[in-house]
Amino acid sequence: MRHLSILGYYFAQYIKVRLAYPGDFLISVFTSLAGTVASFGFLYILFHRVSSLQGWAFEELLFIYGFNLVCLGLFNVLSMNLYEFGERYIMEGRFDQIMLRPLHSLFQVIFEAFRIESFQEFATGLVVVVYVWHKLDLPLTPLDLVLFLLMTICGVTIYLSVFVMLSTLSFWFEDRVGVSPPVFNMIAFGRYPVTIYNVFIQFLLSWIIPFAFASFYPTTYFLQRHEFSSFFALVPVVAATFLVLALILWSRGVRGYQSTGS
Amino acid sequence: MAVIEVSRVSKRFKTYDRKEGVWGGIQNLFRRNPREVKAVDDVSFTVDAGEMVGYIGANGAGKSTTIKMLTGILVPSSGSIRANGYVPYRDRHQYTRGIGVVFGQRTQLWWDIAVVESFQLLKRIYDVSDRTFEEQLEVFDAVLNLKPLLYTPVRKLSLGERMRCDLAAAFLHRPRIVFLDEPTIGLDVVAKENIRQFLKRINAELQVTVVLTTHDLSDIEELCRRVLIIDRGHLLFDGSLEGLRERFECKSQIVFELREPGQVDFGRLGFNSTVEFQQLDALRCQAVFDKKQVASAELIKAIVNSLAVRDVMLDDTTIEEIVREIYSRGEVVTR
Repeated sequence: MRHLSILGYYFAQYIKVRLAYPGDFLISVFTSLAGTVASFGFLYILFHRVSSLQGWAFEELLFIYGFNLVCLGLFNVLSMNLYEFGERYIMEGRFDQIMLRPLHSLFQVIFEAFRIESFQEFATGLVVVVYVWHKLDLPLTPLDLVLFLLMTICGVTIYLSVFVMLSTLSFWFEDRVGVSPPVFNMIAFGRYPVTIYNVFIQFLLSWIIPFAFASFYPTTYFLQRHEFSSFFALVPVVAATFLVLALILWSRGVRGYQSTGS
Repeated sequence: MAVIEVSRVSKRFKTYDRKEGVWGGIQNLFRRNPREVKAVDDVSFTVDAGEMVGYIGANGAGKSTTIKMLTGILVPSSGSIRANGYVPYRDRHQYTRGIGVVFGQRTQLWWDIAVVESFQLLKRIYDVSDRTFEEQLEVFDAVLNLKPLLYTPVRKLSLGERMRCDLAAAFLHRPRIVFLDEPTIGLDVVAKENIRQFLKRINAELQVTVVLTTHDLSDIEELCRRVLIIDRGHLLFDGSLEGLRERFECKSQIVFELREPGQVDFGRLGFNSTVEFQQLDALRCQAVFDKKQVASAELIKAIVNSLAVRDVMLDDTTIEEIVREIYSRGEVVTR
């Protein structure tokens, strides 16, 4: 409860800071929206040429895409400081002040900044999901809703865990670590059915950097593709495992933290 | 009762030497040259509740590293620290609730938001009740004159103003121990005085234990009865300020000015064996002596009685000079 109220306060403060420069904020919302529209445009043009992708219809891909945006949007809102962790916190020494407060250090790092404009991705994704749900006349029970919520949480958790792990590298290698951007680009691979890839990439996306568990596998249940049901059942397990690994790695990093001079 | 116990603590860092130039940079990619640096070496001391201790040392002596270990930011390489009943780095969550920290070089407040919002956020983080919060703000305002600053973003404050806010923030949750790392660095005389008054009052009224590091030895002279001196990772001195003065030959000097120019016969004064006299020019003379051997009052009396003097000035050795002396000797003197 205490953490929630602090989170709310962090968030309110951050919004205030961002709205102090309304022009800047509006431009960033606009560019973010333009990016989303462009990626849907790509999907649309692609399916203008081919009617289905290895047995997956346009609407089904749209659903995966929409669900992915829901998770990715929330993740993007929360991940702002993870990319700059090495520079802002380790190299500039701001991690010192994090260590002096009686709150979990990761909690503070994540919630000190938000990419507010990414709520747009979350909203767009939700609209797309609702549209496809309606269009394909997919079943909708209360259980489905609960599962959708659970899958969203798992998806966000998987993204956060992977990028927290990458950020912790900064504890050991003080130089800027440039692995986050290429990994971020790999998120796009998870937007398509893994079956279209070769075995190597399928394995990579499932068990090494489990982005397929954050977008493709969760949607198979709602799309009635029951041949993937065992993967679907594993989603919470994968999310929990990666979260635990990330937290362990993080606390290792904190213990090895060397701070800066003076 | 000891509230901080540091026993045989060392901190070693591994750093990598880097070669210079572009070619050196490429070589660094493949071969790193590790080098171990001992920032703090076998340091032990205790601090009692309610004490105000000055921790001094030159740049890079190990002050900040010690403070960072005491506050739980760094894990000691060996030795043990207990403070307020906790092991700082291990019990960080409970421990940090009971301490306040100010780093003069770096603010603890959030850069972009108004000071009062930072305080509100800290109030939630430390679970401070509304009443305590209001009371604390009143107390701080009385000494630090905070009210005019509360609605300004931190980045727009001057250094002195920011330091006042940082101090208030560190004391907001009524900590039992406060660590101040260079709290007066870069401040003007008035701002320094403000901050010293505040620390004196808080220490006296609330019995808060204060450990402070500083370059400015006048801070220590005004605030602390006890000093720890560290140099190159070693603790060189631990004791009272008077003890420090006594222990190291504190040469005092008296400079006196004659009514009329002339040669003085110092033999008449009768301090030949213990005082070093010197005529500086036709009017001014200097007497250098050790306070342990000669009482300055006696010497002044002798001078005034036997010579026609217009002015007498007594000059004590400053702590600054003593510290310089200790550094140059580099020997270990702990109590």
